[in-house]
This record gives sequence, structure tokens and C-alpha cells, in this order.
Amino acid sequence: MFEATLIYGLVNSVILALVALGFNLTFGISGVANFAYGAFYVTAGFLTWSGLNQLGLPFGVAAALAVLITALMGALMYRYLLLRLRGLVVSEVIATFGVGLALLELFRYLGFIGFEYTLPVMIDASVDIAGVVVDAQRILIVVVGASLAALLWVFTRHTRTGRAFRAIAQDEHTALTLGINTDRVATISVAFGAGYGAIAAVVILPLGTISVGEGYNVLVNALAVCIVGGLGSTVGVIVASLLIGYAQMITATYVDTHWMMIVSLVAILIILLIKPSGLFGQQKELEERI
Amino acid sequence: MTRGLRVIVGLLAGVFLAVTVFLVPGPALSAEPIIIGVPTSLGFLEGKESYNAVMLAVDEINKAGGVQVGKTKRPFKVVALDIRDAAPGVPVPDALLGIEKLILGKKPHALVVGPFRSEALLAGMDLLAKHKVPLLGTIAMTPKSDAMVAKDPKYKYVFRVCLNAKYFVGYLVGTMKFIQKKFGFNKVFIMHQDVAWARITAKIMTGIYGKLGWKVVGTASFPTGSSKFESALLKAKMKGAQVILPIFDMPQSGILVKQWRAMRVPALMAGFISPLAGSAAWTIFDKKIGGAINAIFELGNIPSAKYPPAAAFYQAYQKKYGKEVQAGHGPAPSYASVYLLKAAIEKAGSVQADAIVAALEKVETAAVMGKAKFSKGHQVVYGADPGKQALGCVFQWTNDGKRVIVFPPSVAEGQITLPAWMKK
Repeated sequence: MFEATLIYGLVNSVILALVALGFNLTFGISGVANFAYGAFYVTAGFLTWSGLNQLGLPFGVAAALAVLITALMGALMYRYLLLRLRGLVVSEVIATFGVGLALLELFRYLGFIGFEYTLPVMIDASVDIAGVVVDAQRILIVVVGASLAALLWVFTRHTRTGRAFRAIAQDEHTALTLGINTDRVATISVAFGAGYGAIAAVVILPLGTISVGEGYNVLVNALAVCIVGGLGSTVGVIVASLLIGYAQMITATYVDTHWMMIVSLVAILIILLIKPSGLFGQQKELEERI
Repeated sequence: MTRGLRVIVGLLAGVFLAVTVFLVPGPALSAEPIIIGVPTSLGFLEGKESYNAVMLAVDEINKAGGVQVGKTKRPFKVVALDIRDAAPGVPVPDALLGIEKLILGKKPHALVVGPFRSEALLAGMDLLAKHKVPLLGTIAMTPKSDAMVAKDPKYKYVFRVCLNAKYFVGYLVGTMKFIQKKFGFNKVFIMHQDVAWARITAKIMTGIYGKLGWKVVGTASFPTGSSKFESALLKAKMKGAQVILPIFDMPQSGILVKQWRAMRVPALMAGFISPLAGSAAWTIFDKKIGGAINAIFELGNIPSAKYPPAAAFYQAYQKKYGKEVQAGHGPAPSYASVYLLKAAIEKAGSVQADAIVAALEKVETAAVMGKAKFSKGHQVVYGADPGKQALGCVFQWTNDGKRVIVFPPSVAEGQITLPAWMKK
């Protein structure tokens, strides 16, 4: 049982990290807390489903198109909505939350409710790891999660756009003086974040169903991981994912499955009481010290 | 056109009108309609298909001339409202507001289908008593409503045509006895949704398992909307469960069987998972549900060669809507409800609520899910023989995507088999 908890806890942690990476990336660079993130995740799921079932596209093509369209939606949201509100934090939150709500409720209105909205697993196999049977889709999630985290690291350190990301994350005004078009970079960062969310959806949703409610769950989980880890910190996301992921698994296995859903909310409360900037957060650290 | 010709054309038109209005049969279409309200969760499969089934019955009845009320033939007219009570997070008062809005706004003579959630049905019983509107419920399953009807006459307007949790337990017990006898299994793990009917079913089953010589090795409850079942499956495996009893009606629950198969949990999955009931589940869940045993709450939602009315309804539905019934709960009794209402109105010769209620209490007819007759608590009696009572059944998904009815013996088409990874 211990081995099973260890393995499935890791998978759960990677799922949380995958879900939170995109949200964290957008916030870390553009400073925008994208509350439409959960809706983008669900949109990617429904787009893949539609490509697969209504247009008859192969899974890979449908998934790639869904990721591209979702990323484009993120870019458009920034360019035509958030740009006008830049710096007005409360307005940004209200605007993104409104977009998310509108998208999710639109799906509900259009009749995207029911168990038929599922995606197929990419590899139909199971493997035995230390006596624990794990399906290939879960292993794929771990591989994709690790790859995306590594890719993000390489991208932000070894590409021109990635370095521009870091520049505006460190100091937007200085970045401007160096000739970096901060609006353009912020637009790309929101698109990247939405795209990361879409990739997460494409690999995670075959384990469940695509539902409007999932959009709200994903947003809560992404927020919990980012708040616990520290908004804007990639290392924080990974550590917080492991903490919350294992806490959820241990709660479900040794306490009661019913309490699993509140673990992330309890984690937010605890971290806000102990260290409001999060484990690796730098946003408010100075204020806290003072 | 000359004046004479105009007169002739005018006369002919007059004669034509007179013939159409007074002589052609079909007064039902011009008579005042009998309004049937359908307040339910229309966005959910069971609600959508139950509404379709109601429309199928109404179309058939109207096409045949309508309902004989005294000397007049009157058509049925359906007004529906989505009360969304099945959706996670929708409060019961919101659902009740929807029902009241329908009652006050459309003035229905009776309601059919009704709420999904037993919580909404129980809370809505006072509302129905206040407005004196009969309800023939076909989704909510708590047996508490029967007890309330039997105890207090003010709740006499509430009838239920679908299976209730008590009868559902009866089918589960029969299946478990069968499994115990055939495979010698006696350890069970219960997984259920955290909603009234599922909680009650799990509680009753826990008590009954003890009496049957089974050991309940664990129980796990899941809030509506959950889709992570790995930890409970691991627990079931660790505790040596030989059977997993799932009790779920949420769309996400279908994924439980996919996870069970992927993790190769060595326990037979036998219970109720609503998304697994329909024929389309096979393709929706990637052909990975072979071996799962699932209940169908009312015959007719699955065709049975051994009871022709059930198969006839199934085929009529498919013909009208171009697809088979997919919900295991709701459509067949919803269709039957309209015919029961017709029978009651014709017997009463009135559309007055109290007259309809009195007539419904005495109705006894062969319906699509078996013989329909109401108990003292206004619940259609379910049993084991469709010739004597209404019937639910249990089927098993085969590895080639067929649904084979395995219980009760009166309609069984095959025997329960173990999934491949459980065979030694």
C-alpha cells in the first residue's frame, strides 16, 4: 500500500504541477492572475473532443489544434481586454474571471454536459512498478510534466523571448529601457500560459471526463499550488505540487476520500497564516519582513 | 372572375370550412389541452431522455385522438423547465423556485419526471401539496417520500413510477447472492456518491451484507463531481475486496470503471454507475468496460426479448429520435407516466387534481417496465416478474461490447463471468 501511495501520489503531484505551470508562468511574467485559466483548460478539452468526434481528426492533430487555438485565445484576451486594464489588479482579476465564467457557462448553455465528453488514452497499456499496476497514461503524464518543466527552464534561459520573459518578470521598466516590447512579451506569456494549460488538459483529461465543473476545480488547484509555492516561482510550483499532491493522496487513502477535495483549500489557509508570500514567493516578501 | 363564379367559390370555401370544423374527426386538437409540466434537469442525460420519452408518449396519444375527459377528447400539451438540480452546487431552493414558477406560470394539470435529487423531491412535497398538483416522479429515488405519503394524506399528490432505493437494494441483494453462490465471494468494498439516495442505498446494503454473510471491508464516499477514484480502488485492492459495489449517478462516475480496469483491481465491479447503462458507453469509454456489472433501474431502458412492451418502447424511441435510449433510469417510467396519467384522467372523467389522485391510486396496467400498480405510499411496486410487478434488471458488459441481462432470472439472458484479469 505504501508503494502504491508513493507512486500514485507522485502522479497526482505531477498532475497538479502540470495544471499550475501555465497559471504561474503568466503571473510570473505579466503579473496577470489569469482567472480564465480553468476555462481555457476545459476549452482545450472540448476542442480536442470536437476535433476527434465531430471533425474526425486523428487525436494528435485534434490535440495540437486545440493547444494552438487555446493559446491564441489567451493572446487575444490579453491584447484586446487586459492591455487596457494593465496595472489595475482588481480589474484584471474581475475581467479574467468574467471571461472564464462566460466561457464555461457558454459550454453549459451549448449542451456540453454529460459523460460522453471523454478523451481516449494515448497508450492503452499498464505496467507493474514494484508490485503496483500503473497505466501508461499516468506514466505519460509524469514524462510530459517533467518535460514541460525542463522546457520552460531551457526556454527562459536560452532563447531571446525567454530571456525577455525573465527581464520583464524582474523589472518591467528596466526591460523597457533595454528595448523590450513588454506588451508583446506579456501577450506571449499569457498565450504560453494558456497553451501550457491546454497541453495539461490534453494529457490529463483522458483519465477523467471533460466537464464545466472541471474548469472551476482546475482553477482552485492551480491557485492553491501557486499560493503555497509562491506566486511566480517555478520551483515553488514543483515543491507545492509535491506537498499538496501527496497530502491529497494520503488523506484519500488513510483518512477518507471525501476530504481529499478540501486539502488544497486547507493548504491555502495554512500558508496564508504562516507565510503569505508562499514557500518560494518573492512578491510580498519584503513587506512581510518589514 | 364573374360575380357568379365568385359566389360558387365562396360557397365551396364555406362548405370546406364547415366540413373541416364540424365533420372531420379530431376534436382533441381544437379542445383545451391538458397541460403536463416537466420540471427536471433537462441538461442531464436522464432528464433529456425522460423528456423525450414523455414527448413520445404525448405524440402517440395525441395522434390517436387525445384523452377522453367525460365527453370531450383533449390533447396533452407539455411544458418543460430546466431546474438544474442535478448539477453540483445548485441549491435545493433554486430547484424549488423553478418548480413553483412552472406551476404558477403554466398552470399544469400534473407534473411528470420531476427532480433528480431526492433532497429536492422531499423539500418540494410541501409545495406540491400547497398547489395541489399531482407529480408522477421518475428520477428521485429516496424511499422517504413513500413513507411521508403513507403517513400524511397532505402529500397524496406525490407518486413515483421509477424504482426507489429500497427496490434497487432488492436487485443488488439478488445479484450479490448470485455472485456469492457462483464464485464464493464474501468481501465487498462500497463506493458511493455523497447524495441522499446513494448514501441511503449504501447504508441499507451495509446492513444487509452482514446478514448475508458478507464482510464490508471498506466504504468510500465521493462528492458529486469527483473523478479521482485511484485511492479508493487501491484501498479495495489492499483490503482484499472481491466485489466493489459502486453507487453513482454523476457523469464523472463512468471513469471509475476505466480506472478499475487500468489498475487491474481483482474485484468484480457490480452495482450502479449511470454512465455505464446505455449502449453508447462501450465506445465512449474506449471499449474498456467489459466485465462491469450494472443495474438498469427500469426495464424498457434496455430491451428485453422476454418482455415485448419493453422492447417496443425501446424501438419506438429509437425510431423517433434516431438513437437508442442511453439512460438506465428515467425514460421508460416517464413514458409510462403519461399513459398512467391518461388512464387516471379517463377513469376520473376529470382533470381535477384530487380526482386524478384518487384514480391513480386505483390504476393497474401493463406498462413498458412491467405491471404498474401503486403501493400505499404511491410507489409503483417493483418485483421479479414483469407480468406481476414492474421490473428493474442487472446486466453485464461483455468483452465484445454487448449488454447481457443476468438478473432477475425471469428476464436473464446469460450468466455473470469474471473479467479476464480475475480468472486464474
